[in-house]
Amino acid sequence: MLNTMDPKKKRRPISYYIKIALIVLGIVLVVLFILLVRNYLMLRHANLISRRELSLSAFVQKHGPLGASEVGVIHSWMTFDYINRLFGIPQDYLENQLQISDSHYPNLTLGKYASENNIDTVVASHQVQNAILKYFNQPAL
Amino acid sequence: MDSLLTPLLSYLLLYRYVALAFVVYIGAVGAPLPVNEMLLALGAFASQGYFSFWGSLMIAVIANCLGDLTGYAITRKWGDWIVRVLHLRKARFFVHLEEELRSDAAITVFTTRFAGSLSSITNLLAGLVRVPLGTFIFYDFIANVIEPAAALGIGYVVGNYWSDFSNLFTIIAAIFAVGIIMFVLIRIQRKIMKKYE
Repeated sequence: MLNTMDPKKKRRPISYYIKIALIVLGIVLVVLFILLVRNYLMLRHANLISRRELSLSAFVQKHGPLGASEVGVIHSWMTFDYINRLFGIPQDYLENQLQISDSHYPNLTLGKYASENNIDTVVASHQVQNAILKYFNQPAL
Repeated sequence: MDSLLTPLLSYLLLYRYVALAFVVYIGAVGAPLPVNEMLLALGAFASQGYFSFWGSLMIAVIANCLGDLTGYAITRKWGDWIVRVLHLRKARFFVHLEEELRSDAAITVFTTRFAGSLSSITNLLAGLVRVPLGTFIFYDFIANVIEPAAALGIGYVVGNYWSDFSNLFTIIAAIFAVGIIMFVLIRIQRKIMKKYE
């Protein structure tokens, strides 16, 4: 039986396809990098990242505490110690407001506080958020 | 958020630098932990004054290097036994991989630090093929300074919005890993082709 295959048609080696894949990967990496920069610029444009924080001197300065409008950053993995520092509130404020009796406070996570009080973590977060809003004399959520 | 990341962040806030050292070390040895995302968050914590940026970087670098050395040392000590038991030298691919890793040890060790789990696999392979200890330590250290510094630095700058960037980090590490694997495969395939020409 004659071999009908065109001798001029050679199969491309696997390395050819791997090179193509590498080029595609390189392009994807560049696109992702552009997305990263774009994300950052969007945050800058929305004034969520202060221009001042970009300067070399600002890099080593501590950033100031958050305000009432940023209580949404509170998550169940946070400890009360961290939250107190984050918002610049006295260490015993949340302990008194929420009547926390756990001796580990403030080294106690919101998740642990929720499970000890048999409440959902979302409810616990809201309790903490409202307590902080009260501290800043803001209306509750 | 990654289901592993949430408890890690709690441990980080509770046990601070001890947790940081432990998690980074275990991650470098090979546990599939979201270490880069944790460092991103740690950068944000540092920006809020809760952690020291430079102290965190120093601990992350040391723990990373020690973890990488652990993987390297395990196969350096018991590598010959593993190769014998698994009859790895009978597999042509392994022989070529060994040659490739020996000839490009520096660049392989350096680049795989940015490729997530591939870093731990490279540590084991580097010990197995007996990459010189000095070469391994030098390039491992340089990359282990750059990678956590980048994650901490980005976290520091973006602050509370660090979680917006954590998925991108994971994707970039995965792309690095795939790219490196493909690069190694091409090099091996070229060597095979050269041998049979």
